[in-house]
Amino acid sequence: MSELKKLWALTVRNMKCYFKDKFLFFVSMITPMILLVLFVTFLRSVYIDSFNGIFDMFGFVADEGLVNGLAGSWLLSSVMSVCAVTVAVCSNAVMIQDRIDGAINDLKTSPVKGTTLSLSYFVANFLVTLIVMLAVLAVGFVYLAIVGWYISFGNVMMILVDTLCCVLFGTLFAGVIESFISTQGALSALSTLVSSLYGFICGAYMPLSQFSQGLRNLLCVLPGTYSVGIMRKHFMQGYVDKLGEMGLSDQGQKALLDGFDGNLYVGKTQMPLWSMYAILLGTCLLLLGAYVTIVVLQNNKRARKSPKG
Amino acid sequence: MTDKIIEIDELRKSFKDVKAVDGLSFSVKRGELFAFLGVNGAGKSTTINIISGILPKDSGTVSIFGENIDSHADRIKSKLGIVFQSSVLDKRLSVMDNLRSRAALYGIFGKQFAVRLAELDALLGLKDIIKRPLFKLSGGQRRRADIARALIHSPELLILDEPTTGLDPQTRQTVWSVIDKLRAEQGLTVFLTTHYMEEAAIADYVVILDAGKKVAEGTPHDLKTRYATDSLRIYTHLDETQRYLAEQNVVVRRERDYLEAEVPDTAAATRLIAARPELFDDYEVLKGNMDSVFLRVTGKNIKEA
Repeated sequence: MSELKKLWALTVRNMKCYFKDKFLFFVSMITPMILLVLFVTFLRSVYIDSFNGIFDMFGFVADEGLVNGLAGSWLLSSVMSVCAVTVAVCSNAVMIQDRIDGAINDLKTSPVKGTTLSLSYFVANFLVTLIVMLAVLAVGFVYLAIVGWYISFGNVMMILVDTLCCVLFGTLFAGVIESFISTQGALSALSTLVSSLYGFICGAYMPLSQFSQGLRNLLCVLPGTYSVGIMRKHFMQGYVDKLGEMGLSDQGQKALLDGFDGNLYVGKTQMPLWSMYAILLGTCLLLLGAYVTIVVLQNNKRARKSPKG
Repeated sequence: MTDKIIEIDELRKSFKDVKAVDGLSFSVKRGELFAFLGVNGAGKSTTINIISGILPKDSGTVSIFGENIDSHADRIKSKLGIVFQSSVLDKRLSVMDNLRSRAALYGIFGKQFAVRLAELDALLGLKDIIKRPLFKLSGGQRRRADIARALIHSPELLILDEPTTGLDPQTRQTVWSVIDKLRAEQGLTVFLTTHYMEEAAIADYVVILDAGKKVAEGTPHDLKTRYATDSLRIYTHLDETQRYLAEQNVVVRRERDYLEAEVPDTAAATRLIAARPELFDDYEVLKGNMDSVFLRVTGKNIKEA
């Protein structure tokens, strides 16, 4: 019980360290802000033109609110899946900062287990990322409610499940790759790299369907692609269903989903939704195994180096 | 209850080819102010880090409160407080948040925390800084927060790793008055490393380290008696007095407007003066201090190292 209380106290401390560091918070929001700026300046019209191009092919005229909502939901699915990783990587910086500042030494002089200390960083990172993601989602939902809301309650629930999956993936990913970082330079380089690159390689800025087949196949190897995939499915489905109700043919709906990653393909095979979850959660299991191994090895290092007597 | 609060025997720790601590043995008695002296790299901080459970040792035995650190680290840690060389508290958090999060690690929550905080406020005067983030505090205020953190769980042993380095004289005095009060009222044992010889001079027991090895130990009085030399400072007839002292095989150093001669003790100085009183119109005999002890046993001047 006491160790659980210590875990919670450390978790709260780690979360406060992140939220009180305005610079760290700003860095972790760079990608969503870039996406937002791009959306406001030109991506929104690019998406809408593309949607209308597909509708024209099938002789369909869509309601303006529906198209605006569809563009917004596509952007929000991008922001959510990218944020899960970029926020987690930056929030986990608290752990690295503790190593750099020497705060970890202070914590080590107290009677707290090494595993409790490591777990506190993981739990804090998970909660911080979840809080930020839910805040972004809430703002996004307000926007969609204003421009055109067509997401069913079931899909809202599935989006929340997707959010949990993405946060788990992002937290474990950050935990593993940042286990080996102990300098400010390496931390800055990693944060910048992830913030600027991750959005591209998981298809958050542009649909994967617009990339070459070779690149698409390569990106399908990366588990982050499936975190975007599940989000796309649940954000877009309600809008596509409504378009169907309004007269867009089945082929038209399929073309829309294919063109905007609502359906993901590896080669010519469409990935079923369950397989995307399986890949994402399987990756989480692998990352969890790696993370636990790293934590155990790092904690045992001390015991191995310290002979009795 | 053992009289010795720390017992270290044949402690060794290397970093690759560098022997940071090389067969170190010493003990610290309950309630004493123990000072560790040494230049940077002498092994002081490495020893402290081993004692406080931050670093693993290569070999040797470390017993604190009569318990081996390898088998009872958590029990030892709960009775040990440490003030690091530079502040390791969370810069963005308030002093209150820092203390609350650290207190929780010792199982101090809620009302118990509030009571302890009030005690520390009475001791250190935390009211004016308690709600402020650490990065907005002055060096002295930050040091007060560091000491409060080290004392949050009422430790029996307080380790101070160069606690006053870089502080202004007034803040140094404040730090020392707190330590004196704790020792007087609670019988706290204090393990100190310092660069300031005047701080080492008030310790109950001093160990001097050089290149990871113990080169001298004892009370400041013992050390001064064994290693320090008095000096005779002369302000008149500099050329003639310098020749005279050289003839007497006395080591003499000429400064801008005085001569400084090394003498074994005050009696030797008196003999020199009595033999040629006309040369000594204006002079003073300076007693040997910890600086000269340190210089004698390590061959290094701690102020320059």
